[in-house]
Amino acid sequence: MTNDWKAVCVFFLAAMLGLSTPGCNVVRITLNTPITPADIAFIIPGRTTLAEVVAKLGAPDSITDSDTGLVATYRFLDLKYSRVNLGWLAKPWTPVDPDLIFSRTGLGVDAFEVLCDAKWVVLHQGFQRHLFRPPFHPYPFQPLRLSSPNKLRPFSGLVIMASHG
Amino acid sequence: MKLRHSLVDLLVIACLLQACAFSRGTLGDEIQSDVTTTIQKGTTTKEEVLHLLGAPDRLLALNGRDVFQYYRYDAKAGSLLLIALNFTRLSIKSDDLFIILDRDGIVEDVISSNRTKDLKFRFWPFGD
Repeated sequence: MTNDWKAVCVFFLAAMLGLSTPGCNVVRITLNTPITPADIAFIIPGRTTLAEVVAKLGAPDSITDSDTGLVATYRFLDLKYSRVNLGWLAKPWTPVDPDLIFSRTGLGVDAFEVLCDAKWVVLHQGFQRHLFRPPFHPYPFQPLRLSSPNKLRPFSGLVIMASHG
Repeated sequence: MKLRHSLVDLLVIACLLQACAFSRGTLGDEIQSDVTTTIQKGTTTKEEVLHLLGAPDRLLALNGRDVFQYYRYDAKAGSLLLIALNFTRLSIKSDDLFIILDRDGIVEDVISSNRTKDLKFRFWPFGD
């Protein structure tokens, strides 16, 4: 048997083994387009109107009532899941089907809120959370990095506290 | 020679590519833009809005004004199943329509977005 045929046989053997159990999974789920500080840089509290915000960012996901006017909320999600099955590597050499699975899910949920007065002029704006965008990282034992608003997202203004029914 | 290379490439891709999958899910009816353009600020009444769009998905009270919210969600998922590696990407976007009515039941403002228009099936989970 020539080396080329050996290589072909090894390739097909690996392919047959691999077809039975995939070793890694990478999954990403996004809800709406994440809003970045650059997207909201045009908002000037006391001057920008809700109509101008809507013209740039589109309609919000929800509008709720508040004592001073209304709160428009833009929600977005960026979920990353990765999984690696290291047992897959031992599969060719063992009669059993071993699994050694590491997986991790990073749930990046955030919302951008705009508080307007009764005339729909923006009073305050801000992100509800300051989560960093989670990386694809299947190793589950590494501690979670805590987000820091000062480091991660330049933000000026008050954080809006609003309840959503 | 080129044909042989192409066939070999095709064979390798066929062996590596175990399967691929497309999935789609929607919630709510499509908000038709031609219907929303017929709604005029200051003239269209609450009854006309209900006749055109039906009952709203949510009804809000906003400083004495009624707000009708209509929404629709669209989700598209693509999966690329390779031998040792699977990629899946699920993208969800929403269309929202807010119709703000004054105390007399006349349309005061219309806020709408059509995000699902640009929604595509994607496999690659990295990047934006």
